[in-house]
Amino acid sequence: MTPGRRIGAAVLVGWFAPLTPGVARADHDMATMSENHQDRSELSVGLSVEAARFDSTYYVGSYQGVTPSLDWMRGRFGASAAIGLYHLTENGLSNYGAGDAMLGGHVAVVEEDALHAGVALHVMFPTGSELDNLGMGHTMAMPSAWATWRASPVTVAVSAGYGRALVDLGGGGHDHGPMPLVDPMNLQELTWSAAADVDLGRGMQVGGRARGGVPIGTGRTRAIGGGRLAWGSPRISTGLEIQVGLAGDPFTIRGVVDTALRF
Amino acid sequence: MRLVLLGLLFAGCTTASVPTPTKAVCPTPDPMTLTWDSFGQGFMTEFCNDCHSSTLSHSERNGAPLFHDYDTLMTVLYIPEHIDQWAGAGPAATNTIMPPARCPSTPGGPLDRNCPQPTQQQREDLSVWLACEVKRPHMF
Repeated sequence: MTPGRRIGAAVLVGWFAPLTPGVARADHDMATMSENHQDRSELSVGLSVEAARFDSTYYVGSYQGVTPSLDWMRGRFGASAAIGLYHLTENGLSNYGAGDAMLGGHVAVVEEDALHAGVALHVMFPTGSELDNLGMGHTMAMPSAWATWRASPVTVAVSAGYGRALVDLGGGGHDHGPMPLVDPMNLQELTWSAAADVDLGRGMQVGGRARGGVPIGTGRTRAIGGGRLAWGSPRISTGLEIQVGLAGDPFTIRGVVDTALRF
Repeated sequence: MRLVLLGLLFAGCTTASVPTPTKAVCPTPDPMTLTWDSFGQGFMTEFCNDCHSSTLSHSERNGAPLFHDYDTLMTVLYIPEHIDQWAGAGPAATNTIMPPARCPSTPGGPLDRNCPQPTQQQREDLSVWLACEVKRPHMF
């Protein structure tokens, strides 16, 4: 793998990772994995730092988060784990706590020169407090399919998935708006994402992203857009991203800085 | 196998209370012993309105969601099931999620005191009162 392609893959990882420790991250993991044609294992550790403001029907506030992550890849296969740690201020109340933890696995099905595609399964565990608006309160399963296409200097990535809480969906609970505040999802939804990056040379890339979810049954449609600048080397890469909530009140604006170190 | 065990560990870490309908019912005929004037208003003032009040801005609510205001009967009746599931008690559940552990000394102030907690009887009365109140005619 050339340094440029590797950085491109890392950029994709950086986009999805801080958004949702789940389906979105899968897309990035896939992109990275698809670039790993070697038979040896590759391990990477990542850290993203984020700060956001939200203003929804029921809550006004902000949060700051740190999300360490661990990724492993070998050939067509890969796995990842991540958990966010947050400081959340909601309607004047300050809370600290963990978000939901994510574990995932993925495999590449198509591996051509320009096109890579595969499937993934991610599971989020309710380590975050639902009552504190830090977690879903349920285990979530999120299978997805992803694809990346590269025609230098452009890389395009898309994904589509399905997310479902592993609980009875007929409870009809009281609506507090998008939940959890730090990473809202619907109890059952279709997810999507799209990203495009352009190599600027000297290890730098610039790109745009969009992703969201469409509820199945009750819930609300969610959409996020963002722009990203990334730089780095095959060993370490860093990205800076500004995101805005376009629909569904996930947040009004969020800034993310992420970095990944590969071994 | 290790991942499965790790997953079970994570799942087992969440033991927080879950809002649960108490299934309290209003006696028939309604005895009218629990009313807004005789019970509801006092309960809300003592246990809820320091944070759940329409007079508080979002930054003064200590986390209480907007539009969850219990300083009038009308606003209580917007979400009676929600109140029942977070603070009420009945045949199916005793919910003690609210009030929280810490409260402000003055409405909208810092969390500088332990919250007064309703007795079990007060929680049961809350759920029965709500079950009765939603059936009564109102002229809002």
